[in-house]
Amino acid sequence: MQELLNTLTLGSIYLLFALGMALAWSTIGILNFAHGAIFVFSAFSAHFVSEYVAMPMPMLILISVLVGATLSALTQWLAFEQILKRSTNHRSAELRVLIGGIGVAAIPIAIVDRATASAPFGFANSTYKSEVYEFMGLRMTNTSLIVIIAGVGIAVALTLWLRASRQGLGLRAIGVDSETASLMGVNRTVMAIGTMAIAGGLAGLAGALQVFQLQAMGVATGDQLLIKAFAMIVLGGLGSMAGVILGAFVLAGAETLIFAVDLGTWVDAVSFGLIFIVLLVRPQGIFGRQEVRRT
Amino acid sequence: MSRPQNESSGPRLIFEAADVAVHFGGVKAVDGLTFGLPEGKIIGILGPNGSGKSTLVGAITRHVPLTRGTLKFLGEDYASDHPHLVPHRGIARTFQTVRLLEERTVLENVLLGTDSLAAGGRTARKLAQERAEQAMVRTGCDHLAKVRPDELSYGNRRRVEIARAIAMEPKLLLLDEPTAGMGRAEKEEISALMSSLRAEGLTQLIVEHDVQMMVDTCDSLLAMNFGKLIVEGDPREVVRNPEVQAAYLGKQAMKHA
Amino acid sequence: MIAWYTSNAVVVQATMTTLLLALSIQLPLRMGVFSFAGVGCFGIGGYTAAILYTKFDVGTWPAVVLGTLLAGILCYLLGLVIHRLSGLYLGMATVAFTLIVAVVATNGGSLTGGASGIFGALGGINNLHVFLLLALVIAGLAISEYGRFGRKIDSVREDPELAAALGINVSRHRKLVFLASGLIGGLAGAVTTLLRSTITPAEINFHMVVMALTVIIIGGSSSWLGALIGAVIITWLPTLLSFVAEWESIIYGFIVALAAVFLPSGVLGLAKGLIHRWRSRRRSTPPAPPSSNVEKASDDEPSSPEPEHSLASTQGGTL
Repeated sequence: MQELLNTLTLGSIYLLFALGMALAWSTIGILNFAHGAIFVFSAFSAHFVSEYVAMPMPMLILISVLVGATLSALTQWLAFEQILKRSTNHRSAELRVLIGGIGVAAIPIAIVDRATASAPFGFANSTYKSEVYEFMGLRMTNTSLIVIIAGVGIAVALTLWLRASRQGLGLRAIGVDSETASLMGVNRTVMAIGTMAIAGGLAGLAGALQVFQLQAMGVATGDQLLIKAFAMIVLGGLGSMAGVILGAFVLAGAETLIFAVDLGTWVDAVSFGLIFIVLLVRPQGIFGRQEVRRT
Repeated sequence: MSRPQNESSGPRLIFEAADVAVHFGGVKAVDGLTFGLPEGKIIGILGPNGSGKSTLVGAITRHVPLTRGTLKFLGEDYASDHPHLVPHRGIARTFQTVRLLEERTVLENVLLGTDSLAAGGRTARKLAQERAEQAMVRTGCDHLAKVRPDELSYGNRRRVEIARAIAMEPKLLLLDEPTAGMGRAEKEEISALMSSLRAEGLTQLIVEHDVQMMVDTCDSLLAMNFGKLIVEGDPREVVRNPEVQAAYLGKQAMKHA
Repeated sequence: MIAWYTSNAVVVQATMTTLLLALSIQLPLRMGVFSFAGVGCFGIGGYTAAILYTKFDVGTWPAVVLGTLLAGILCYLLGLVIHRLSGLYLGMATVAFTLIVAVVATNGGSLTGGASGIFGALGGINNLHVFLLLALVIAGLAISEYGRFGRKIDSVREDPELAAALGINVSRHRKLVFLASGLIGGLAGAVTTLLRSTITPAEINFHMVVMALTVIIIGGSSSWLGALIGAVIITWLPTLLSFVAEWESIIYGFIVALAAVFLPSGVLGLAKGLIHRWRSRRRSTPPAPPSSNVEKASDDEPSSPEPEHSLASTQGGTL
């Protein structure tokens, strides 16, 4: 049972991170390799501010979210949009966006690495106090509670918004057919940057919550999460937010299980293995609807 | 046409399709077609957009899987072949939108037609080079050998693609809207080219929108609509057929009757 | 000349080993196969050679050969299974493969030395050997870029459907490129390991993939020459400019991002473009052909204009 709680908490952070990536990828077709770097940098920004001013949790989260949203929107505007404008076909654009993301990712990571001298950082100076609750023999912190509510809540809200709202439908229209979308009066560039901002904000939220939850974050976390996010999205199926939710908790569950049976050093193999198996057996994922195999 | 083969009734059929169907989910792009292509003739496929013409070409070249039916080339059933084996049997095609390697010169693009089909070795390569150059001369693009496709006019890009197909020395040439984007004079050049290829024994299947050109160039026409064959036969008769006129741009068809 | 070499031997060595690794990724990329399995094969080749050398008393060169072969075979098997995946998905599967190799190496107990890796595998290799092997690999790649084979590979990359319509067995080419890139990656790993005497799981990770990609993107992905240019730039820039060494990650990040936006074909692509434009200006306009109506559009039917739209207007979510 305790494992289940751990899974929910872990899964919620994974979910928030992956949601941002999945949103951008399945709607505007941008796979942002800088997503992990944005995650780390946003949390670091909040840490940086908190070193000077003692701040409550909501403020730190807000800072992280805003930094994440800004970075992500800037990356889209300055890098990805420029690449799309200069590409002649889909395949070359795909590769260039990938590489552009990798290049952009190096920059914030290097800054954080220098500033922290490669040591993990936390929110030690925050006014937030963690409390532990005991409930039917299970231990849970208020942080975990916040994380789970935030994770699941936002995921469900986002899924519903995409399905039902006008903007959500417009965004999905871009994903399906850009020309139809523009005929519907959807301004592609504005929506793209907006989407990336939301994605970045989610990364920032995930980052701040991760630091609160684990008390510290290392610079390498971003890259690790990136690969795990792939695993989640691939498992759930690209184009399905419900799939990402499923993928996040399945991955978290599998990892928790691995730790529980004392095979901790193999934990990374879970996500890598998942990617592999899914791509072999059912490449479009569980709920996916997009064609992944070439003839 | 679909006459039974015997020695006294004209040229043999180098290609035969029997009850060929291609379904995409619920859409019946090609819905039970049966026809044959007599050797050394030019056959045209006529039909409005969405009638299944290009799908049919894709099915013949095995790029599009058959839902049912048989395909025979030179008497051999090849409906289970992988697409890359089809050129080796002797079937070459051009595409609706011209597909060339933009980073390579015209000569290199045409040489691609010989790369897989010619043998290796120095003499063979020389022969392949000659084949490519001859193909370029016939299509009128030999003066563009060192030019890159992105510097060419649309009409010239088409010629390069046709040259590449000819360089493959096929027995059956499929032309998918080869004169789209060309002016009247250019179309007549292509028509003349096709006639000279026919004189050498090449069988050609052409999909086109230009009804006049089809009537002038083809030995027979197959008219399609909604994936089915409406009528086949002499071009002028096919074009006068009321069902064909109803299906196709009525005005245009009547103008050329 | 000799003095220069002696004082820079280490950097020259690093350039060569980096280049060898980069080539294992450049080759499949040239064919449109986004495979990063070369890094994983670096690990397989390196570990195999190190284990054979230190634990089974196998000689240097047999160890290298075996390491290379094993990596090639495993990569080929990988290819058999995943070669039908498209673009990004293929890339992810190969990254996952590479990272699985690292996890296996970390958990290999005393055989692989766990997280600290293997030490003391100092084989009888020197820079000259590496140079000769590199030259051999480059010769092979150069041949594959020339003439008939080069054209066929270009078509497989640019337009696989067209390639098939020309008689090219696309599937077989893709599978074989896995074998070739596995061999090159394995060779890179085996040679580098026995040269430097160590290998650790930390060298088989996403960072290595990024580095190899950086080399290829900066230099140019279309040819081995691009990889060479990239390897030289990446290895020598920090040596020549000390401030580069300090801010290396940020500078390379910028360069890669700029290259992705402005110079996707790298330095080599830029050079080729300039040469081509210079040549075109020198070449006189093509003489008119015998039939005079080639370039003119006639009045009867308007030419349909080539649909020219950048990807920004049609970008969608389908991959």
